[in-house]
Amino acid sequence: MATERVNHKWGMVIDLDRCTGCQACVVACHAENNVPINTQDRFLQHRAYEWIRIERYWEGEFPNVKARFLPVLCQHCENAPCEPVCPVYATYHNDQGLNVQIYNRCVGTRYCINNCPYQVRFFNWWEPQWPATLRNQLNPDVTVRSRGIMEKCTFCIQRLRRGELTVERQEGGRLDDKTMQERNFGPACVSACPTNALMFGDQRDPKSAISPYFADANEHVHEEDRKTRAYRLLEEMNTKPNVIYLKKVDQYPLKLKQGEQNG
Amino acid sequence: MNLTRRNFLTWAGISAAGAVSCNIPFPEAELKIQSPVRLPEDLVKGQDNWYATLCRQCPAAEGVLVRVMEGRAKKVQGNPKYPVNLGKQSARCDAGLQALYHPDRLAGPMSRTGAKGSGQYKAVSWDEALNILNSQLSERGQGLALITEPLRAHLSVIAGRFATAFGGRQLGFQTLDDTSYRGAVKTVFGQDVLPGFDLAHADYLLSFGADFLSTWGSPTQFSQAYGEFRQGAGRVRRGTHVQVEPRFSMTAANADRWLPITPGWEGHLAMSLAYVIIDEKLQAPGVDVGNLTGGRGIAALEAFRPETVAPRIGLPQGLLDGHSAADFIRELARDFASHRPSLAIGGDSAGAHSNGQFNLEAIYALNYLVGSVGAPGGVVFNAASPLPDLPAAAKVGSLADWAGVAEDIRSGKTKLLLVHQADPVHGLPKSMGFRDALAGDNLFTVSFSSFMDETTALADLILPDRVYLEDWGSDIPEPGPGYPVLGFQQPVVNPLSDYNPRSFADILLASAQGKAGNLPWPKLRDFLRESSDALFALKRGSIQAADSGEFWTKLLQQGGWWDDKATNPRPGAAPRDLLTGIAARAVPPAYSGLADGEFHLLPFAHNTLLDGGNAHLPWLQGAPDPVTTITWQTWVEVNDRKVKELKWREGDVIKVESAAGFILAPVYPNPALPPNVVAIPLGQGRRSGGEYAAGRAAPESANVMDLLEDRRVAVSGALAWAGARVRLTPTGESIRISKFEGSSPAREIGLTPSEDIFKTVESNGAAGAAH
Repeated sequence: MATERVNHKWGMVIDLDRCTGCQACVVACHAENNVPINTQDRFLQHRAYEWIRIERYWEGEFPNVKARFLPVLCQHCENAPCEPVCPVYATYHNDQGLNVQIYNRCVGTRYCINNCPYQVRFFNWWEPQWPATLRNQLNPDVTVRSRGIMEKCTFCIQRLRRGELTVERQEGGRLDDKTMQERNFGPACVSACPTNALMFGDQRDPKSAISPYFADANEHVHEEDRKTRAYRLLEEMNTKPNVIYLKKVDQYPLKLKQGEQNG
Repeated sequence: MNLTRRNFLTWAGISAAGAVSCNIPFPEAELKIQSPVRLPEDLVKGQDNWYATLCRQCPAAEGVLVRVMEGRAKKVQGNPKYPVNLGKQSARCDAGLQALYHPDRLAGPMSRTGAKGSGQYKAVSWDEALNILNSQLSERGQGLALITEPLRAHLSVIAGRFATAFGGRQLGFQTLDDTSYRGAVKTVFGQDVLPGFDLAHADYLLSFGADFLSTWGSPTQFSQAYGEFRQGAGRVRRGTHVQVEPRFSMTAANADRWLPITPGWEGHLAMSLAYVIIDEKLQAPGVDVGNLTGGRGIAALEAFRPETVAPRIGLPQGLLDGHSAADFIRELARDFASHRPSLAIGGDSAGAHSNGQFNLEAIYALNYLVGSVGAPGGVVFNAASPLPDLPAAAKVGSLADWAGVAEDIRSGKTKLLLVHQADPVHGLPKSMGFRDALAGDNLFTVSFSSFMDETTALADLILPDRVYLEDWGSDIPEPGPGYPVLGFQQPVVNPLSDYNPRSFADILLASAQGKAGNLPWPKLRDFLRESSDALFALKRGSIQAADSGEFWTKLLQQGGWWDDKATNPRPGAAPRDLLTGIAARAVPPAYSGLADGEFHLLPFAHNTLLDGGNAHLPWLQGAPDPVTTITWQTWVEVNDRKVKELKWREGDVIKVESAAGFILAPVYPNPALPPNVVAIPLGQGRRSGGEYAAGRAAPESANVMDLLEDRRVAVSGALAWAGARVRLTPTGESIRISKFEGSSPAREIGLTPSEDIFKTVESNGAAGAAH
């Protein structure tokens, strides 16, 4: 018996002060989402598939040097630049705040990749291949994308849908932070993250750990007046991402030469 | 009814109207835009089951849940209840699935037909193979050597007693063995089991060399605490992390402050900090300095005055802010002592010099001065074991032990070698001659590996073990969480019909039947069940059950048993004269290698491949190294200005030469490496194995162990793998580095300035809660 659908709006918060760059999220994503194996050739061609990736930045020179880690995934923008350019409506924004890619509509124009400022979309230049035995691992809940198709982070929509069906429609409960964490209905990267740098939840659920950050970092509050460390990537582009970052705390900032800027 | 165009449209219209009016719980927006097919994501196929078991991709043996559908394992996730990792996992855990379904898994027992190392084998039946094993055991089993991964709990009992029954020995193999660390823990804390650290409640962490966020100890356990250390709810102040390490490891990259010093001087720096703490009376209240120094007070540490130590340890001028190096040490000591609870830990390269055990003893002794031993935010001791007879500490072989094994093989004392989950031929320095010892005609080698590796390639008989997701097992985590834990591993799937493995433990038990080995259990599962009943009889801990059958079921459902109410041994007083004793053992590091070598070599365990045991797993090969972002290759990290000065470029193939030999590998200019240090990861350079592990030859792939000599850490006899002097010469060749760096343009990274440090610790979910 179908019940009224809960009106979720998903969002992610990434605490850069917790992230250690360990790659657990990256491999967890590969395992969950049938991401093709990144062979050495893919890296040499700069065509590795990483729906979530860890970017590493250098700052300074020896011995006053730091490395910074930044996990980047599809930002699920409210004003997504990738959406209006798709001629076949293969990518659209759903009512839960997700930027969705419909694989069987995609005709591979790659306009969306071109328009995405975050470079989080990946085009299948080849038919994905796995050795026969490794195919046993493929997740039956996730489509294997064929050649000529665009793919990207889905916020693990298959897990969210399974959670909605199980928890909300069958059990009459609510898919909240706790059920997602305990029963593996949240995105795979969030489940894996050893330092809890990644948080995921419903922006409309006031009890969710992420909602205060979305309340704080909104368009009505000037960036400098925010109470938390929240910011968004490339905020000036007004893409309104549903992913919020919390700034890294720098206890011993590098003494930079004149003309250089921190950050 | 004929399907005409008109009919089709009519029915399509009726269906669509029906769908909309039936209150299907899909949002209107989706219906408007989507085609009349349902989205694949809206279809849920099949039921999944999640089984609790243990991960064996690294020695930490984290508790995991495995998602199984239709008899196939689909996903590995951290077990939220398991005390070590509390639902989290490392990148290595996920790749267990690739080991399970690997195309290069050995398909069944094999017996050697060609010369040793020729790779010529014929398939034999299990009956035949076990007959060969048993006849070899009765013929030449006396004095056998059983080399395994570091073992704890049940398998440790079985392997240990099996070896004893044949008058032989069982040893755990670790490429970068931790025997010096174990020695230091014994001297300083009097403990046989490795301690844990209450990082979550520490205020100040001083880490010497330990890459604890990546590979050292129990990285997921430490990482989880590290997240709390940074931004935990209810903290007053964000924790400060200072990393003293000559290499810019992933852990150093996360530190607030990175202090690169000359390799091998970590212990002198620690002693100098102790000097300042005692000199300025900064020790925690109640600390008996007289006891630590044999009543001599500061005089006992006179040799470690900052003014004496500072010129020797090579702190870079650029870090000192115009202060003298001695003042810098004093300031560091004051910081460390005043931000209690403060914690000092050490490991990896700090303990891998000729004076490594002294270094580690000096580092860990600092915890007594700041009152952090057994206190919240400090060093946490772990109990021996919840059940008697189950070892909680792994028995790990030092280099001295391996030299002994090699000698026994050469002398003919050991005529039978059994190897399980260990690749000593790959992981021991080439100069030790372990490969030649195994290639000798007097030795019969049996490998229980599921994959071809360098040791297995020299075996006479191969009996492929089950992969851990198909097998029973258990573990007592080391380091544990501070209370007794016994983790249980159960088979979550059956092996594919392509593979024909048998459990290593069960083979040992069957072969030992009737021998005086005190191994009464027919199978490992029987032994586990016996322990389950013993735990049930304790009537405490995480499982409430009416009878032992229910207890066993719940035990497997939870993935183990633990008792967070039980208290572990409280630490006693600090050993008398601890600091005086350590001071007396202080010696400068003696570097091996070439006398004219310009660079110190620092090998390190790869973030995902570790020492090479995971090199066959493509997800882990393709996971970028956190600092360099390099994949699928060996690389040589050299300071970027040094590279420029030498007129080299990224990817230039460099010959790295030590007294033991040379390797070829491409150079990666690293802006965060001291100019006199080169860092090279372990993990690649496998000479045997499938396409993923061994498919790339030099200079893409090289084994850094080939550069190491048989040099040992004083007292412990461990391999002194850090600091050897090497020479670098360009070969004129150049290759492309397969790295992730540069795949996408740079983005802004938000940094908050330091003055905001207090208010940036946010209580969980309460935005703007300033402290």
